[in-house]
Amino acid sequence: MGANMKMLKRIGVCLLAAVMLISTPITALADYVTGNDSYRLPVPKAYNSVKTINNIGEFEGEQIYFKDPQDLFVDEKDNLYIVDSGNNRVVKMNEELKTVGVYYGPDKAFSKPEGIFVDSDGDMYIADTGNRRIVHLSPTGALVEEFTNPESNLTGSAPFSPSKLVVSSTGYIYVVRGENIMAIDGNGEFRGLYGQTNIGYNLTEALLRIFASEEQQNFITKRLASSYINVTLGNDGMIYATSMERVEGEIKQLNSVGTNVFRKYKSVGNSIQNPITNFIEKKILKSVVAGNSFKFGEYFNDDGMYMEPIFRDIAVDNNGIITVIEELNGKVYQYDQEGNMLVAFGGLGESTGTFSRTSAIDVDSKGNLFILDRLNNNIQVFEPTEFIKLVHQATTAYDAGDYDASYDLWNQVLAIHENYELAHTGIAKTYYKKGEWKQSMEESQLVHDRNVYTKAFDEYKYEVLRANFVWIVLAALLIIVAVGFLLVTLNKAAKKAYWAFLNEKGRKMGILEGLKYSFHILLHPIDTIEGIRYNRTRINMIVPFIVFFIAYIVRIAYIYIVHFPLASIEVEDANMVFEAVKLFLVPITWIPASFAATSISDGESKFQEITFTSAISLMPFILINTPLMFLSNILSKSQQSWYGVFSALAYVGMFLILFQSMRILNNYSLGKTIKMMIISACMMFVIWLVLGLFYVLSGRMLQFVFEVMKEFRLNIL
Amino acid sequence: MKGVTGAYMIKKYLKERLGLIIFLVIALVLVIWGAISISISRKNAITYKDEYVPAEGNVDFNAVGSYKTVVENEKMELLYNEAKGTIQLKDKANGYLWKSVVDKELYDLDGINQQWAAYLQSIVTISYNDLEKRDAPPVKAYSAKDCNDLSVEYLENGVAVTYGFLTPGIFLTVEYVLEDGEFVVRIPSDKIQEITKYALTSMEILPYFGAAGDDVDGYLLYPDGSGAITRYDNVSNRPSSVKAGMWRTYSDKSMTYENLVFYDYSDRYSAALPIYGIKNNDNAVLAAFTKGAENAGVVAYPSGYVVNLNHIGFEIYTRNVFDVNMFNVSSGIGETSTGKMIQRVDRSLIKEDREIRFFLLNGEKANYSSMAATYREYLIENGLLKGSIKPGDTLPLSLEFIMGVTKEGMVFDEYVKMTSFDDLIGIYNRLKAQGITNTETVLTAWLADNASYPIYWPAAKQIGGKSGLKALNNYIAENSGNHVYLQNDFILASSSNASNLSGGFSEVDDVVYNGLNQAVTGGFETTFYLLNPQVSYNRSNKFLNKIKSFPFLGVAYEDLGRIVYPDYNENNVFTKGQTAEKWREILANTQAREHRAAAEGLNQYSFTNVDYLYNTREESFGLFITDSAVPFVQMVISGLIPYSTEKAGNLSYDLDIQKLKWIEYGALPSFILTYEDAIHLKETGYDAIFTSTYDVWEERVVAVYKEFQENFQSIYGLQMTEHEVLGEGLIKIGYENGTEIYLNYNKEDKKVEGQTVPQKGYLIIEGGVQG
Repeated sequence: MGANMKMLKRIGVCLLAAVMLISTPITALADYVTGNDSYRLPVPKAYNSVKTINNIGEFEGEQIYFKDPQDLFVDEKDNLYIVDSGNNRVVKMNEELKTVGVYYGPDKAFSKPEGIFVDSDGDMYIADTGNRRIVHLSPTGALVEEFTNPESNLTGSAPFSPSKLVVSSTGYIYVVRGENIMAIDGNGEFRGLYGQTNIGYNLTEALLRIFASEEQQNFITKRLASSYINVTLGNDGMIYATSMERVEGEIKQLNSVGTNVFRKYKSVGNSIQNPITNFIEKKILKSVVAGNSFKFGEYFNDDGMYMEPIFRDIAVDNNGIITVIEELNGKVYQYDQEGNMLVAFGGLGESTGTFSRTSAIDVDSKGNLFILDRLNNNIQVFEPTEFIKLVHQATTAYDAGDYDASYDLWNQVLAIHENYELAHTGIAKTYYKKGEWKQSMEESQLVHDRNVYTKAFDEYKYEVLRANFVWIVLAALLIIVAVGFLLVTLNKAAKKAYWAFLNEKGRKMGILEGLKYSFHILLHPIDTIEGIRYNRTRINMIVPFIVFFIAYIVRIAYIYIVHFPLASIEVEDANMVFEAVKLFLVPITWIPASFAATSISDGESKFQEITFTSAISLMPFILINTPLMFLSNILSKSQQSWYGVFSALAYVGMFLILFQSMRILNNYSLGKTIKMMIISACMMFVIWLVLGLFYVLSGRMLQFVFEVMKEFRLNIL
Repeated sequence: MKGVTGAYMIKKYLKERLGLIIFLVIALVLVIWGAISISISRKNAITYKDEYVPAEGNVDFNAVGSYKTVVENEKMELLYNEAKGTIQLKDKANGYLWKSVVDKELYDLDGINQQWAAYLQSIVTISYNDLEKRDAPPVKAYSAKDCNDLSVEYLENGVAVTYGFLTPGIFLTVEYVLEDGEFVVRIPSDKIQEITKYALTSMEILPYFGAAGDDVDGYLLYPDGSGAITRYDNVSNRPSSVKAGMWRTYSDKSMTYENLVFYDYSDRYSAALPIYGIKNNDNAVLAAFTKGAENAGVVAYPSGYVVNLNHIGFEIYTRNVFDVNMFNVSSGIGETSTGKMIQRVDRSLIKEDREIRFFLLNGEKANYSSMAATYREYLIENGLLKGSIKPGDTLPLSLEFIMGVTKEGMVFDEYVKMTSFDDLIGIYNRLKAQGITNTETVLTAWLADNASYPIYWPAAKQIGGKSGLKALNNYIAENSGNHVYLQNDFILASSSNASNLSGGFSEVDDVVYNGLNQAVTGGFETTFYLLNPQVSYNRSNKFLNKIKSFPFLGVAYEDLGRIVYPDYNENNVFTKGQTAEKWREILANTQAREHRAAAEGLNQYSFTNVDYLYNTREESFGLFITDSAVPFVQMVISGLIPYSTEKAGNLSYDLDIQKLKWIEYGALPSFILTYEDAIHLKETGYDAIFTSTYDVWEERVVAVYKEFQENFQSIYGLQMTEHEVLGEGLIKIGYENGTEIYLNYNKEDKKVEGQTVPQKGYLIIEGGVQG
């Protein structure tokens, strides 16, 4: 059982059911929420699919079925408008969902219309996409005016094909135009581009810009910023939008000047980390290690495959609760005013409550969701359950600053769902507001909310410090003295071992002696490395492996002991093999790489010495992390930066030792050492590349053999 | 000296050719391996005659023929049309004619394409595969178009018709008889003949029996989940493209791990009972597969699927078909999209006689409630359904306890106690103090550290170990109202536990193989297997030996009532039917050894020897063609076997709604609980149990039970005889003693049949008096 659990996080619920949860009543269709660990936590059913609108009913002999419908709008009086694009019409239904009007276009027929907005008077603004215009119709369907491409030198040469739009209370039309939202005033005049999406930074492009000639640059296609997908108008007058941006800004809340004020998460980072393993995690193993941090939507679909979500449409209810539909996995995600996920439901499937390809969503005044499916050609109506209504009330009360009410409401949520993270966070925040730090810490730690915990912890720390200042100072002094004494003792022992090893020729290094000797590198790196160089025949090769082992133990202990807001990885998520790879990748590949590089370039170093020095380059790591993991327990996220400096020091120390050992062991000059370091680094990359290639190719080779065998067996039957 | 030189020379010679030698060894191993695999697979290969010239047929497809009475009894009359090989059944009570095929009176056959016209007029269709081709899609043949050789034999009580499909050389005999007052259809296995390279894989029998248009007041009943119906008159709410519904008896027919085990697939494709029903105005029929049901399924086509006719019928699988995913050799690892599926079929036909019974109902009884009652009666008469509830039994509370959970650590996994045996006794005492003395309790995850599928022993020491079990046993001995079941799974097996000292298994000998001689596997980081049914039986027997000294502890068999499969493992070959029988034997053995037996799921085979069914489905899959789910299976077993639903009260979004559901389905009120705080279940395999702390739930559990005991003790142990959907969210159910209950799922009070039913509440009328 144990071995499977980690994977449960990584793969979808449907796999989850099969792998181990046979005993528990869960299906892929169960509703869930992903919380602080990007982990799917089941929740009670949040929305019931109460009705499916398969057709428009009998209405003046109209074709009753929809065809590729693309947009849907619920107006203030809860009338429902469907842009039935495949049939080039717009259908209006009243709140009883009876068809009351079908519009094909006032002057000329609509051509593949894609969007609609209805204002408070019931006037319809329809994006007549194929005809490249926006049509303004009266509530009865009569033509009021039409808007075509407004003239401006800012809009470029791209044709005007309006699709999704909103009309603000000032009468401006905001229509999605690529990476911008274009504003048109009531006279059809251009009023500016708004909310430019982030183009981001691309290393390749930056390099090209520096090195490529002007002519070459002309051949490089210009990278465009991500496009907007959809827009909707909130009750607060803000424009809510979805875009193709990848790291942040998939869901936007745009203020009056077009700045996104919705949840930002990119900047929430961890402490300074080893850049190499960081690179490996982020780029190469992204599908393995992704999922530890927040992102809108999810990292993995129901089959456990990595995905980049596409939010096809967005709906905002009267309280500012946001619901989006994701196209690739057919899920509906709901977020509160701060961007915390409340629930995810739906999914691809062939039963009620699932979708084939969703194209639009809107919400009515009672909180019912209307979700349009352009492949199933239907609309499903979802009614909120008591559970999610309670969650909405709680989050809305908190958003409005009514902390007492939200505290009670969150407690009611917990009576239904004891593990609902947001409820614990909400309560932790209320405790924090009330100055009950300890409770706040407990609640937030339950659900791994690092931010609230950090705030409460800092307050708590000062409180304790104020109350027991004398004792704490005394204890600190005592510890400092004890540690100092320990270091001095160790240093003495190291020195003794160093001189003993150097002077007593003709004897092999003992294991304990070797460890003490290794410790010597911290204070006297050059002497220590020289000692190895001149006594290379006498060093004990068991020592480096013991050092590797100790470093590994320190790393594992670190993961267990480090204070949780500072942890870069949760214990449950850590993998022993992966940790070993992260720790040893550099020192271990360094050995053959630098040996190979130096041996063809007048190097004098031997394999054994390099192994020895590579291993003891981990000594700073060991020495720094051992106290740091204990010390971290009185630090919190707000001290992250200088905490990060210490962890970085370990890597700097490692680099310096490797550098010095290369210089001394080979008797190189400074310049040559730098050169050789670079060559060795390249060699390391080559080694990784070759190993990677070998892995891939041997896998293919095996697969080839197996497939041939299978062909044999089945073909000869 | 010379010898030394010789040895040296040989050594040198070999050394110089080391690469070649290694290559040759690898090649040799591959060749031997290939030869072995080929010889193994040849055993399953199909032999056929090459030379086959179809004979001249004797059927004139243009002949209309006429229906003549063959045999009759007091209820019905069987008519046969010699020219067409089709039958009709007349209900004597009101003269209603059940037609086996669609005629021009019923539907405009000229308005549709020939293929479909032929299908509509076919009493039998067959599918067959060409065995000569590597990848030949199945071909379908229709009796009205392709059966060109028809012969008939008149029997004492009916007629035996042999349908000969001459092109593929397939002949089969179907007997239509009246027996025990009912209409029975038989397909004897020894009368199915294949004379050439075409292998019969499946057939549909009477696919258009009782087909009806949208103007008829009626519905189709099918075994989707607890049972579900599609009403003819609700045709305006069908999707623009209607899809057929398919359900296979007990489990999906495709023999892959995913299809057999995953809830998504099993909920979608499996049927707990091998039945379907049709209601047309005042007449109804219940069709039940009474022999060979395991290799059969139900297919329902509501109006709108090509033709505007509602029809439903049985599909019979005569061979197992295996889809093999052939990777294109040039495709990448894991890129299944470029793979290519080919079909392989069994060498021999599944040798099973098949029997279908049609129970005619009319007038007042033309509804699914009566169908359920009829089927229940049939099962009881034939010893296929035995009750475990005794008169006077107290309505129990259904509980499941999560005893512990394994938390994954980086170095060591840790078993965290959630409920110890002592805690459990404490909870029982607290419940007792509040008047709850009767429970059906399933204990989950009580096995030792890290132990999992298929380990079945011993109990984790953190929750009390063996002495804890003993204490529990002694407690139950004195408080016998609590029925405790230790849950174990004897079906799934994880490779990570294969070499476990207590309860390991062989990954070669003990696991299930498909017809391609490949082990059926699933899972990701570790490989999951299914166990051979005989192995499962032996292991369950060993487990019973272990708990011999705890006679008051029962066994809950996880998956036993929801997963059935054939096994081609040469050590012990099983057909799907034999496996179902073996599962029944496991339950019977448990009872014979005087332990109570519980099974997960609703499959019919467990009904003979089970004391409690848990985790049973309380709804249908929810296809777009389904209008409402009905508690059909529950009506069959109500009052005989206690059961709980798959949704626990503490996990529902609204306990009031969940209570209504329990009442509607006649289920026990159920909760999944833990003694320790539920937060420990977060981010573990049991995180679906997001709220379970006993202290948090005690009050509500007791209140719900009290409500049920007060209101429904009087109907516990009685048969639910009536279920009717009165309107949107309004249900009426009735019991054999005349008690009627109105249920209102809506958020506002509803007036119905002169009574006001409170919102999200119910109204009980006992024997016509309001209670």
